Amino acid sequence: MNAPKQSVDNRTFERRARALYREAAQHIEPAMAGRLRAARRTALEALAKPARPHGARMLLPSGALAAIALALLLAWSPLQNRSSETLQAQMSVAGVIDTADGELPPDPDSADPGMVQNLDFYGWLATNNTNNASQANR
Amino acid sequence: MESQDARSGDADDDAMNSVVSTLDTDLMAEDTRAVPATMDAFLSHVERRAFRLAELNLGNREDALDAVQDAMLRLVKHYRDKSAEEWSPLFWGILRRRIVDLQRRRKVRSIMVGWLGGGRDDDGDELPSWDPADAGPGPLDRLQDAQSYADMAAAVKKLPQRQREAFMLRVLEGLDVAETAQAMGCSEGSVKTHLSRAMQHLRDQLEAWR
Repeated sequence: MNAPKQSVDNRTFERRARALYREAAQHIEPAMAGRLRAARRTALEALAKPARPHGARMLLPSGALAAIALALLLAWSPLQNRSSETLQAQMSVAGVIDTADGELPPDPDSADPGMVQNLDFYGWLATNNTNNASQANR
Repeated sequence: MESQDARSGDADDDAMNSVVSTLDTDLMAEDTRAVPATMDAFLSHVERRAFRLAELNLGNREDALDAVQDAMLRLVKHYRDKSAEEWSPLFWGILRRRIVDLQRRRKVRSIMVGWLGGGRDDDGDELPSWDPADAGPGPLDRLQDAQSYADMAAAVKKLPQRQREAFMLRVLEGLDVAETAQAMGCSEGSVKTHLSRAMQHLRDQLEAWR
């Protein structure tokens, strides 16, 4: 029963609220109105610039990621090489120290490579020397 | 008892539907809703109302100007290729989000100020508030209905956020239900509910208007 009356009340209320809002929007001080116009001009300047394609927007982050990946790769590779070199050096030093003690057999890696190459010769020499010595004893 | 409640609930629903349908017809008819053809014309058409709407929400003219400026920039940058009919809900939606952002930022600042110094300086005097009330004089003071507008603004500021948004976009700005829902990022049903509650609160607070 009250619905139609309320509806009319609402209509009147809304019309009044809206009229006040519109009137208030018309009565903005000139300084603020000028700043609003300037804001609009600034925004519209973006219209003059061509819209950047979506791909271009992705280009910068992708490039940055690629650069970081490359830098990490470069930083990681020398470290790996250096660490393996350091390990080898440490092993050879350990071998030298071990032989210096004189208690253990020499490390084949630290032995004179020339000697390793002529093992047959030294074997033959040793055999020959033994044979010569036994013949001389007879 | 339950049947009485149900009947009164139905009456409320009828009243609400009546309000919404009245708004749909009357406000749409009242507003010619001529769509400006160019972005410049559109922004020129809405800039002052957008400023007043932001001011009503934020209570500060500098913040309101920032919000409007940002909304204009975003609309031009991101939606320039949309059809002119879509600009209105898009613009009001952007402005709404910008206002919410500014309100959140203010709240964070207030909390930070509270943590850091309790809102007082070394001499015990109160620091300037981060929620400034801008009561700068303007031509509005010369309005015949300045007091009525001030009363309405005060009542609107007391509304919960979503009800305020629904009232401003639907009643003051005259968007239709679908456009209001798009701008508010919710369903049309929610718009109707928020609007109905907002109207009820405002009618209670602005008794003198009746």
